[in-house]
Amino acid sequence: MIARLAALVLACATAFLPVAVQAQSGPLRIEITEGVIEPLPYAVPDFVAETQAAEQFAAEISRVVAADLTGTGLFREIPRDAHIARVSSFGAPVQFADWKAINAQALITGSVSADASGRVVVKFRVWDVFAGQELGQGMQFASDASGWRRLAHKVADQVYSRLTGETPYFDSRVVFVSETGPKDARQKRLAIMDYDGANVQYLTDDSSLVLAPRFSPNGGRVLYTSYQTGFPRIRVLTVGDVASQTLQVGEGVMSFAPRFSPDGRMVVYSLTQGSNTDIYAMDLASGATRQLTSAPSIETAPSFSPDGQRIVFESDRSGTQQLYVMPAMGGEAQRISFGEGRYGTPVWSPRGDRIAFTKQNAGRFHIGVMRTDGSEERLLTASFLDEGPTWAPNGRVIMFSRETQGAQGSSALYSVDISGRNLKRVRTPAGASDPSWGPLQ
Amino acid sequence: MNRYLYISGGAHALLFAWLLLGKVFSADPPEMQVADVTVLSEEDFALLTAPPVPDPVPAAETPVAPPPEPEPEPEPEPEPVPVPEPEPVPEPEPEPQPAPEPQPEPQPEPQPDPEPVPEPQPVPEPDPVPVPAPLPDPEPVPAPIAPQPAPVPTTRAPSASVRPQARPADRVASEPVAPPDPNTERAEERVEAVDPEADAPEVVEEERDPTAPPETATEIVPEGGPRFAPTESLRPQARTPRVAQAATPRPDPAPDAAPDPAGTPDPEPSAPDLPDVNADITSALADALSAAPPDAPAGPPMTRGEREALRLAVQACWIVDNGSEASNITVTVGMELDQDGRVVPGSLRMVGASEGSAAAVQTAFQAARRAVLRCEKGGYDLPAEKYEQWKEIEMTFNPDQMRLR
Repeated sequence: MIARLAALVLACATAFLPVAVQAQSGPLRIEITEGVIEPLPYAVPDFVAETQAAEQFAAEISRVVAADLTGTGLFREIPRDAHIARVSSFGAPVQFADWKAINAQALITGSVSADASGRVVVKFRVWDVFAGQELGQGMQFASDASGWRRLAHKVADQVYSRLTGETPYFDSRVVFVSETGPKDARQKRLAIMDYDGANVQYLTDDSSLVLAPRFSPNGGRVLYTSYQTGFPRIRVLTVGDVASQTLQVGEGVMSFAPRFSPDGRMVVYSLTQGSNTDIYAMDLASGATRQLTSAPSIETAPSFSPDGQRIVFESDRSGTQQLYVMPAMGGEAQRISFGEGRYGTPVWSPRGDRIAFTKQNAGRFHIGVMRTDGSEERLLTASFLDEGPTWAPNGRVIMFSRETQGAQGSSALYSVDISGRNLKRVRTPAGASDPSWGPLQ
Repeated sequence: MNRYLYISGGAHALLFAWLLLGKVFSADPPEMQVADVTVLSEEDFALLTAPPVPDPVPAAETPVAPPPEPEPEPEPEPEPVPVPEPEPVPEPEPEPQPAPEPQPEPQPEPQPDPEPVPEPQPVPEPDPVPVPAPLPDPEPVPAPIAPQPAPVPTTRAPSASVRPQARPADRVASEPVAPPDPNTERAEERVEAVDPEADAPEVVEEERDPTAPPETATEIVPEGGPRFAPTESLRPQARTPRVAQAATPRPDPAPDAAPDPAGTPDPEPSAPDLPDVNADITSALADALSAAPPDAPAGPPMTRGEREALRLAVQACWIVDNGSEASNITVTVGMELDQDGRVVPGSLRMVGASEGSAAAVQTAFQAARRAVLRCEKGGYDLPAEKYEQWKEIEMTFNPDQMRLR
C-alpha cells in the first residue's frame, strides 16, 4: 500500500511539474485586449518661415493643419505654450526628449517659403516621438498665395493618413443649401465651401427654391432639384462655370432625389406620375431612361453602392417607410431595416460597408448607420430634426443638417464621427441644410 | 497464529471504535464567548470606567466622537487576519504600482536632456537617444509599501488591550513584515545581477542542504533508485529559487540537487509485487523530462499578478481608434528588455498581424509601439530575480473587444 501511495504521489507530482515548467518556456507572452479611447496628443510648432514673405503663411498654415487634425476628435494638440523645444530650422535635428517630456506622441514640423511671384511652397515632416522615427518621408506642396488653405489641408491630409492609416478628407468641398430669412419665407441658394466651412461661394441666386444638391463622383458637377418652374425638376450644374441645365425626364412629371452613379455616367432619381412614385435611371450620354421599381407605393431616395452593383432606397411598400436594397439594374428588393420607426434618405458609405440613414421614431429624428444587410444598427445623433446624412470621402465622418424647433428655428450643418463621438457644428455664414460631401481633391 | 491475529485485530478495532465514538477525545466545550470584549478599546474602557466625568453639557458633541473610535478598532483586526494566510502579497504589489501612474513622467524625460545628439532629420532613427536614459526608479515603489504594513501592527497593539486578542496580533505583526522582505531582496538582486555568475551557485548550494536532504534522507538509504536520479532534477529547480529568493536563473544547480532526492523511490522494496507502478512512474517521469526543455528559462515563473501588472501598465497607453480599419487588426510585437525593464533599442518589432491592408497593419503596429514605449518611462516594474522570464516579451494587441459593432 505504501508503495502504491508513494507511487501515486510521485506520479501526480511529475504530472503537474511539466505544466509549471513549460508555461514559461520561450518569450513571455502577454495579450492586451483593452486600450483607451482618447485623442492622440501631438504638437505642431509654427512652421518655419524661410522667407520674409512667408511669415504670414507659416503661422496660418500650421494653425489650419492643427485645426484639421484636432477637428477629427482623434488628435489633441498640445498648446504651443507648453513646448520646450523650439524649431528654428526645418533641417535641424528633432529634440525627441523635449517632445516626450510634454507627452507629444506625434510631431509635425514644417517650413514655408514664398517667392516674389506669389508662389508658396510648404514642406513638412511627421515624427513618431516615442519611437524616435520619422513617419513616412518629408513632402512639399506648392500653389499660389490664394491657395494657401488648400496647402494646409494637403499637409493635414498626409499627417492624418500616416497616423491613422486611412484615406484623408480635409482637402474636400461640400455643396449645400444656404438658407436665409424666416421659416415661412426662407430663401435658399446653392453654395459650395471647403469641408471646414471656409471659402463659401454661391452657385445660384435666391430667385427660386433649390433642394438636395448632390456632388458628382469627381466633384465637377452638381445635381439638384429646382422649383424654378414652380414644379420640381432635376438640374445639372457644372461647378467650374456655374452653368446649369435641366435633366429631360419628361413633361408634366415631378422628378427629384437625384444621385450620380459611382462612375458618373448615370443618374438615379425619383419620378412621380399620378400618385405613384418610382425610381428611374438615366444614362447621361444617351438620355435613355430605365424604370427600376414598379410598385404602387412610394420608392425614392436611391443611392448606389460604391461598386455600382446595388442601390439602396426607401419605400413604404410595407406600410411604413423602410430601407431596401436592390440590384443596380432593378429587380427584387430586399428589406434591410426592421427597427421601430421610419427610415429614410439612405446613403451608401464610400467604404461600402455601411449605410447611413435618417430615422424618425417617438417624435425624434436620428442619424444612424447600419451594415448593408441591416445588422448592427447604431444611432449617432438625436434631436428635434436631424436629416440628410452625407459621407466624408473616406467614410469616417457623416455630415447632416439639424433644424431647431419653433418659428425662429434655423437649420445648420453638423458632423459626427461614425463612432458617435465628436459631434460638432460646421461653421457657415448663414443657415445651411442638405449637405453633400464631395470627393478628395 | 491467525486466531491471535484476529483476536488482536478485533480488540484493536474495538479500541479504535471506542476512541472515535466514545467521545473520549471530544472537544472541550468550555470555550467561552468573549466576543463582547473584543470591541473594546482603551479609550472605550476609559469612558466606561470613568462615567461620572463626562457630564451632560456637551451632549451633542461627545456622542459624535466616541462612535468612530470603537469602529476603527474592529476593522484592523479582520484585515490582518486574512492577509497573512493567503499571502497574496505579491499580487497586490504589482497592481497598485501600475495604477498610480503618477510616477513622475517628467523624471525620465528631462533626464535624457543631454541627448541632443540625434542625427539628421531624414530617415536615420536616433533610437539610442530616447531609450537608453538610465535611471531605474524601482526603489520608490517598495518604499511606500513597506511603511503600510508597519503602521498596522502598531495601531493594533493598543487595540489589543484585551488579552484574548493579543495573540493573533502578534502573529499578524510578524507576517506583514514579510512582504517588505521580498522587496528588499529584489533590490539586492538587481545589484548583484551585474556581478559575475559565480555568486549565484554558491547561494543555491547552501539552500539545498537544509531543504532537500531532510525530506528524502531516510528513504534513500534502503534503496537507492539510480534510475530516477536524473529525472527528478526538475523538482529542486523549481523550489530553490522560490525559497531561496536567489536571483540565480541557472539551470546548472538543478542537476546537482537531483541525485539526492532521487532516493525517493522507496516503492521499490515492495516493487516485485507491482511492476505496473514502476512502469507508470518511469513513464510519468519520462514525460516530465521530455516536457521540460533543458534550456528553459530559469528562475521562478511570473505570477499571474506580475503578468497582470505588466498588461495593465501597457494597456493604459494603448490608444485605440475604434472607428478605424486598424481596429480590425490584431498585431503581435516582440521586444527585448534590459534588466531595468526598458525596451532594448531597436528590438521592438512586429512579430505577426491579422489580415488587413498594409496601411491598417502598419497603423496598428505603430499604435502598439507607442503604447509600449510611452508607458515604459523609467522601465517596466518587473521582478528582477525573474529577469530570465521577461527579458523577451511578445505582446499581442487585440482590439476585438473595443471595435465598433
